[in-house]
Amino acid sequence: MAQKNSTPRDITFRVRRFDPDSDTAPSWEEYRLNVTEGMTVLEALHELKAQQAPTLAWRSSCRMGVCGSCGMFINNLPQLACQTQVLHLGTDVVTVAPLPNYPNVKDLVPNLEPLIEKHAAIKPFIIHPKPQEMEEPTGEFLQTSEEREAFSQFTYCIKCGLCLAACPTVATDPLFLGPQALAQAYRYTVDNRDCGLQERLEAIDAFHGPYQCHLAGACSQACPKGVDPALGIQLLKRTLVLDSIGFGRKTSSVAKVSPLADVVKAIEEFAPPPRTVNQ
Amino acid sequence: MNTNKPTGYNNRLGLKGWAYGGRYGFERYLYLGHRLSGLGLVAYMVLHIIETANRIRGEQAWAGLMALFASAPFKVIEYLLFAAAVFHAFNGVRLMITELGFFLGKPKEPVYPYSTSVMRHRPLTYIIMVLAGLIILLGGSSLFFK
Amino acid sequence: MRETRLWSLHLLAIPIIAVLLGMHFAVMHYAPVFYGMSVEEARSFEVMIERGRSVAQLVLYILLLAAGLYHGLYGVRGILRELPLTPALAKTVDIGILLFGLFIFALGTYVTWWTFSYRIGG
Repeated sequence: MAQKNSTPRDITFRVRRFDPDSDTAPSWEEYRLNVTEGMTVLEALHELKAQQAPTLAWRSSCRMGVCGSCGMFINNLPQLACQTQVLHLGTDVVTVAPLPNYPNVKDLVPNLEPLIEKHAAIKPFIIHPKPQEMEEPTGEFLQTSEEREAFSQFTYCIKCGLCLAACPTVATDPLFLGPQALAQAYRYTVDNRDCGLQERLEAIDAFHGPYQCHLAGACSQACPKGVDPALGIQLLKRTLVLDSIGFGRKTSSVAKVSPLADVVKAIEEFAPPPRTVNQ
Repeated sequence: MNTNKPTGYNNRLGLKGWAYGGRYGFERYLYLGHRLSGLGLVAYMVLHIIETANRIRGEQAWAGLMALFASAPFKVIEYLLFAAAVFHAFNGVRLMITELGFFLGKPKEPVYPYSTSVMRHRPLTYIIMVLAGLIILLGGSSLFFK
Repeated sequence: MRETRLWSLHLLAIPIIAVLLGMHFAVMHYAPVFYGMSVEEARSFEVMIERGRSVAQLVLYILLLAAGLYHGLYGVRGILRELPLTPALAKTVDIGILLFGLFIFALGTYVTWWTFSYRIGG
């Protein structure tokens, strides 16, 4: 196993290049760069573009691991380039390629349309028995912290797409919904404000739904935000099986709306903490 | 859904992605092993049903078939099948439990360094694989060393 | 609920196969331990026919056949359908595997029934 050597040194970057205007297939280019402690792969790409590869293309934005734009296949693992420090990879040759299982637009840019379309297909929004409550709320939805914890982990998804790049089923099946969409389907289904399982069944209770997940676990390994989509998918399977034998959630158990007057009264009755700032 | 119309160079891993897609944990290889052993077992099962149907051809035909299957190459195939069946069964029990959401832990706020359901049930995976390995070895000992 | 039911049956088949295949293994590979006869003897025509006479054997074998075929062929169907197929080809795979499974089930059931009703000497 390569040792983590934090000494600044020259690192060889093997970068996959593809120009749709002139290439029929991708090729590999090598660049050498002096890398200092703390330099991320994203920063290295900026340096390479400035000094050696002016036409190198990739997608990035926030550079701090919250937007999900810079997903790449770095040293044979899907990672966010902004969250990957070059010297922590522990190798003297760093390979940077576009995310697999997505069409490659140019160089390191993946076409993430499949991710977005599959996400949209599972209706990623609260479906409440009173739809007008979502548009013109008359009060607050009541939700305990336990009810929140049942799905909260899956709300951390930043739609970076690393999980679909890791999934072996996505590798061959273009119609498989994928870990991201299926985990989000669970997130909404189990939210106590939602009663939309029946509406989502057409998308998720079909062949290319959760039953084509075979728990390879690569998605959870790749996820940079700890969303653990594999957990979401297995829990979705359990939810679907229970629903098929009559133990699904009843519409009557969906979160009640607490009228605004009650909410205001609760706040007024609650003793506020002592002031800490002098007026 | 537009997923069949790629815009860009086709970067799908394809069947190679079943065998190797990157530096992932060994659960991904258990998935591959489960697939391969399953295919082998289905092929055997169908052949076995067809082969045992030979009894309707009479006692002599049956005896001839049994003599063929007692020969050395078939004994090796039988052992490999046994190993595949034990692996598939034990891994299958793990999958049966975990694919219904048990033994994976509950969803909780992700705090770095993240724990995943896959890592959390790894002790169970190790125990099941060790048991399977022991039985495969024991089965081999009774087959090859009388 | 379609796919959920198909998958639930796939899972339900697991304990059925585990128990019945275990019994089948006991007879076929551990006859000296469980039946006091050698493996060769247990696989001989006479002993096989004798064993096949019981109603329990008839029912349990057909159950094992059904569970094993369903579980195995559902898996094969999953593997084939995970390849990039056109909708027409996908439908062909589903129907083809179903028909194949029914055919092998019919064959196995016929042979098990033949064994049950076989009388040595005619």
